[in-house]
Amino acid sequence: MRVIVASTIAPFIEGGSTFIVDWLEQTLREFGHDVDVLKIPFYSYYPEMPAQMLALRLMDVAAHGDRLIAIRTPAYLLRHPNKVLWFIHHHRGAYDLWGTPYQDLPDAPVGRAYRRAIVSADHLAFSEARHIYTNSAVVSKRLKDFNDVDSEVLYPPVLKPQRFHARSYGDYILYVSRIVHHKRQSLAVEAMRYTRTPVKLVVAGKADDPGLESQLRQTVQQHGLQDKVTLDFRWISEEQKVEYLADCLAAIYIPFDEDSYGYPSLEAHHARKAVISATDSGGTSELIRDGNNGFLADPDPRAIAECMDRLYLDPKLARDMGENGLERIRELGITWERVMEKLLA
Amino acid sequence: MKIAILTNCVPFVRGGAEHLAESLRDKLNEYGHEAMITRIPLAWHPPERIVEHILAARLLRLHNVDRMIGLKFPAFYVRHDNKIHWLLHQFRQVYDLWGTKYQDIPDTPEGRRIREVVVNADNQYLPEARRIYTISRNSAERLKKFNNLDAEVLYHPLGKSDHFRCDSYGDYLFCPSRVTDGKRQALLTESMKYVRSGVRLVLAGQPETPADRERVEAIMRENRLEKRVQWIPRFISEDEKVGLFAGALGCAYIPYDEDTYGYVTLESYHSRKPVITCRDSGDTLVLVRDGQTGLVAEPTPAAIAGAMDNLYECRGQAERMGQAGYDLMMTLGINWETVVKRLTA
Repeated sequence: MRVIVASTIAPFIEGGSTFIVDWLEQTLREFGHDVDVLKIPFYSYYPEMPAQMLALRLMDVAAHGDRLIAIRTPAYLLRHPNKVLWFIHHHRGAYDLWGTPYQDLPDAPVGRAYRRAIVSADHLAFSEARHIYTNSAVVSKRLKDFNDVDSEVLYPPVLKPQRFHARSYGDYILYVSRIVHHKRQSLAVEAMRYTRTPVKLVVAGKADDPGLESQLRQTVQQHGLQDKVTLDFRWISEEQKVEYLADCLAAIYIPFDEDSYGYPSLEAHHARKAVISATDSGGTSELIRDGNNGFLADPDPRAIAECMDRLYLDPKLARDMGENGLERIRELGITWERVMEKLLA
Repeated sequence: MKIAILTNCVPFVRGGAEHLAESLRDKLNEYGHEAMITRIPLAWHPPERIVEHILAARLLRLHNVDRMIGLKFPAFYVRHDNKIHWLLHQFRQVYDLWGTKYQDIPDTPEGRRIREVVVNADNQYLPEARRIYTISRNSAERLKKFNNLDAEVLYHPLGKSDHFRCDSYGDYLFCPSRVTDGKRQALLTESMKYVRSGVRLVLAGQPETPADRERVEAIMRENRLEKRVQWIPRFISEDEKVGLFAGALGCAYIPYDEDTYGYVTLESYHSRKPVITCRDSGDTLVLVRDGQTGLVAEPTPAAIAGAMDNLYECRGQAERMGQAGYDLMMTLGINWETVVKRLTA
């Protein structure tokens, strides 16, 4: 099939929304499809949005390809007779974050007008789609609540999951992710003050803001955690990640209120490792069942420390939970085969 | 510097422009910049679409980009306050192709209005750039003639060049190129009727149509040229091409009135081989200087044959001219260092 994958990008910024596009492209090619990817720059600053939305609407690719798969908002404004959405999030400031401190439109007539423009453009595009898939139950629920649109959850897999493997169940818990405030690496480090076993923590990743790195270093210093915590602040290559995961005891992923389960959780499960997450982490609860393939701990350093100790003291538990993680992925059908089947149906 | 390279796109179509954009991106990255390609769709049926895509380009917003490099219509209209163009060409249908069979826009009041919109857009928006470079003299001359805009020619180097080599100066002239009317492989073949020396010709490339293939084969058949002409009517791999250049006496490349000197000419000089071209070949003459870096013949079989014999009978000359061709390429700044320096200045 000839497939156009369309998404918007914030130039030079990588993250979940660029990975899903790149990985989908690669996998479509592996499955023998002809793919063209359109990454249209989009600046999500509200006064600039309507003009860019119109630009997307004016671009005509309708004569090309058997299918258009639109990913990041509002790439789905592109017109195409065979449009499918793999919807990963709204412009949240106009939806679920409206009325919270994260609302990025002014709560004034002008802000409300921009909000209406965003919502009505979304409505139009949703009505044109053959089918709407989302990356999580949370996002599907928002589509239902805010747009009264039905959608189907199609969990995004990671690229080449067979790369990940378990070599041993070592003595460290791994937190591999971009170092960002809301990923709460600080909470993981804090937890190490309360562990009672020799369990260790490795925090790996690059910070967008160097201030965060020094903050974490300071916490380690202040509480004398140098022997228990390794801070590996650099961009972690895929190979390094595979290695780290192969030998960890378990993984930890405790963001604050994310939409999806997050690739780090999925990668850990592919490496047959349990995942410690938090009850307020959001989408991770769609993947992790407390006590089965990991823990959903209270977002409190002591509670998290307790989970770490339990895994350290009971390596069989760590191993079993890791195996359950892989099983859980199967149960949810998080495979590229399924993604291909659905998006191209 | 964060650099966005703007070019247009017709989904699933790849050609020289895509190749150039990718080479430029890779080289900018090599020189320590962060570069990405942004492709803006273009459709021209019905012709009103042309206007809509101009508008779409103007409505987009490039945020978090330090430098924009514009290559093609209408992507080069995207607004940016630090813009430099490296123009491949304008929308030729409304300029030099207007009034020819390639015009593609009806000569009606509506069609003429669309033409006017494009010309006005060029007049108004192209000067927003700090500088305009073009990849060929023709493109620069057209800008001057139709829009009264000054541009400087910045020649395009080969994407990759360090794998070309010179093993020996053999007994054949090599012509690797798509087999089509405009490249005049038929004329080259015909010339072989008139050679008096032992010089041979190696023609390699995918015939564009069965008729293009038959035209060459008929001449070979009728004149029993099978021994003098080696005919490889298919795509050849990069390795094959490099090997055939390495052992060649020189290159014969005689397209009709080309806009650029062509990659073939560059490849030949990177292999230190002289080039035979014709007086009416267009921009090959930028590099091929008669008696210095190759031979320039009248576009007749007898004259071309004379040039071939000339080269064959004096091998020392071939070696000297091949080296001179390489030196001229460097003198003209046909290398990535020059291109990167200018486009990031």
